Amino acid sequence: MSHSRNQKWREVGVLISLIVMGLIMVSPLIWTVMLSLKSNGELLRSTTNAFHPPYTGENYAAIMANSGVFRWLLNSAFVSILQTLGVLILSSLAGYGFARLEFPYRNQLFLIVLFGLAIPEQAVIITRHQMFADLHLHNTYPGLILPGLAAPFGVFLMTQYFKAIPKELDEAAMLDNASRFKIFWKVLLPLTLPAQATLGIFTFLASWNDYWWPLISATRADMFTLTVGIASSQINFAQTSGLGYLMTQAVFASLPILIVYAIFQKYIVRAVAGAAVR
Amino acid sequence: MSALDIRNVTKAYGPTTVLDDISLRAESNEFIAFLGPSGCGKTTLLRMVAGLETVDSGQIHIGGQRIDELAPGERGVAMVFQHYALYPHMTIRENMAFGLKNIKISKTEIDARIAEAARILEIEPFLDKKPGQLSGGQKQRVAIGRAIVKKPDIFLFDEPLSNLDAALRMRTRLELAQLRRRLKATMILVTHDQVEAMTLADRIVVMYGRKIQQVGTPMEIYGQPANRFVASFVGSPPMNFMPVTVTGTPSVVTLRDGTVLTTAIANLPESASWELGLRPENVRVNDTGVSAKVEFVERLGERALIYARLSDGTAITAEDVGLSRLTIGDEVHLSIDAQAAHLFDADGRGYHAEAA
Repeated sequence: MSHSRNQKWREVGVLISLIVMGLIMVSPLIWTVMLSLKSNGELLRSTTNAFHPPYTGENYAAIMANSGVFRWLLNSAFVSILQTLGVLILSSLAGYGFARLEFPYRNQLFLIVLFGLAIPEQAVIITRHQMFADLHLHNTYPGLILPGLAAPFGVFLMTQYFKAIPKELDEAAMLDNASRFKIFWKVLLPLTLPAQATLGIFTFLASWNDYWWPLISATRADMFTLTVGIASSQINFAQTSGLGYLMTQAVFASLPILIVYAIFQKYIVRAVAGAAVR
Repeated sequence: MSALDIRNVTKAYGPTTVLDDISLRAESNEFIAFLGPSGCGKTTLLRMVAGLETVDSGQIHIGGQRIDELAPGERGVAMVFQHYALYPHMTIRENMAFGLKNIKISKTEIDARIAEAARILEIEPFLDKKPGQLSGGQKQRVAIGRAIVKKPDIFLFDEPLSNLDAALRMRTRLELAQLRRRLKATMILVTHDQVEAMTLADRIVVMYGRKIQQVGTPMEIYGQPANRFVASFVGSPPMNFMPVTVTGTPSVVTLRDGTVLTTAIANLPESASWELGLRPENVRVNDTGVSAKVEFVERLGERALIYARLSDGTAITAEDVGLSRLTIGDEVHLSIDAQAAHLFDADGRGYHAEAA
């Protein structure tokens, strides 16, 4: 009896602490939403009344009126989706190759891929900028998308994942008259879906939130991604005027991510919980 | 029709030869077991027949057609893997249909074959489940079902029972034997379990050290082992071996402790040394006979195994009836059935009494 009662109290304790932690995590988001519903004039005087009416939709109206934001949103979506698809396709093919095919210098090539993990973007950004300038790729979609396709982490992840799939499955499929592509496509690839979800989600988030490269590559306002666009409409970093408008932009920018999260919640949790569950 | 003919096949991984000039023929509808310890090359040989390993030299023919250069799917073989190798993301039905779809068999034909195989193997209730929802025994049936629907010339089984627990293994073994009578196909079974080989196979191929040691019916392998390895590997508990001196024909052997036994083995060649081979069931605890001291007793219920030493220190395993009353340290008398004895020469070659 007392044992089960103890356990019940423990569960209640865990639940309460989880709720408290959840509230701490979600409070900045709620505050952002509340501030976005306030008039800029009121916020200039004080931000402490965010949780009291009156509320207004004027900031949202203003954002709808600014056509730039929609353009940036589309740019971000286009770049992020294509980059994610590209990374998934390339990493899967490369991962399959490294895990299953025998070819000369395979291990050396894989080592080179792994070295890519250790090279920070900062180290190559000037060269990359120069290269893209020479190729006239700045202010183009390829210019925004291509750099993100070099994804050593993706190749590494998919290689490890393919390696973990028993080779007996390939062999059973070979005896089942399946071609090499069919084995890849019908037998192995479906089994990598959890890894694809992990990689896809992380790639999409990183691409959506990327600020530095779009800032360098896209200099025309119509090629801005959302991150660069929003920053460009900020007057200074310690902005006190137009705070409500700024918060509205932040809400606007995070909405797609929240939607992605809501849809893929299960996979994200699994991705973060990661190898322990598998 | 679907005889398997392996001709002078050799396989090496780098400098290590794993199969050395192997030749073997399995007749149509014959059930052959490759039996041997781990690393003897039996699985490699099976995989070469399947096309999952290349053949370094030699040829493999099925039904008169050379197949060792064909793709695995084109050889007319189906394989049941040790770890089942079911496609985890497909339902059982899809697992069984996959290979048939790949060779463009009509949907109605596929459905009919799956229904037939599911009925034989009693896996109908699982057809729309995924492999992860099945137990090990059920998965094994599905793996066999996936092979059956292909209607292959030759079934290849790679240690199909080794992943099952003891009770299930025995049941599945029996089912495999019944299935075999029903299917009428050539079957090759790889196993390290001599009971599986003895109970299932028409003929056993005992392999060891890159070579085939003996090919024969289970009773030939057991009763007339070609050499010392076969004699020691087949049979549980293993055969007793003891050094002896041999005179006359039929041979009279003298054990180290002075015991003289008259065997039924005639016409022995010259050899620098001889070993006597005695299966434990031919050495019985009795009121008279060779005296020995009990070192350990294993009571198996219907019989007991007595591990003892002769007066000169030679180890010997004997059988006693039922619940033996012997305990460690007891002095016993062992009666040896010398008519059932085997002799092995210095090279390990076996000699036996002429079969009655």
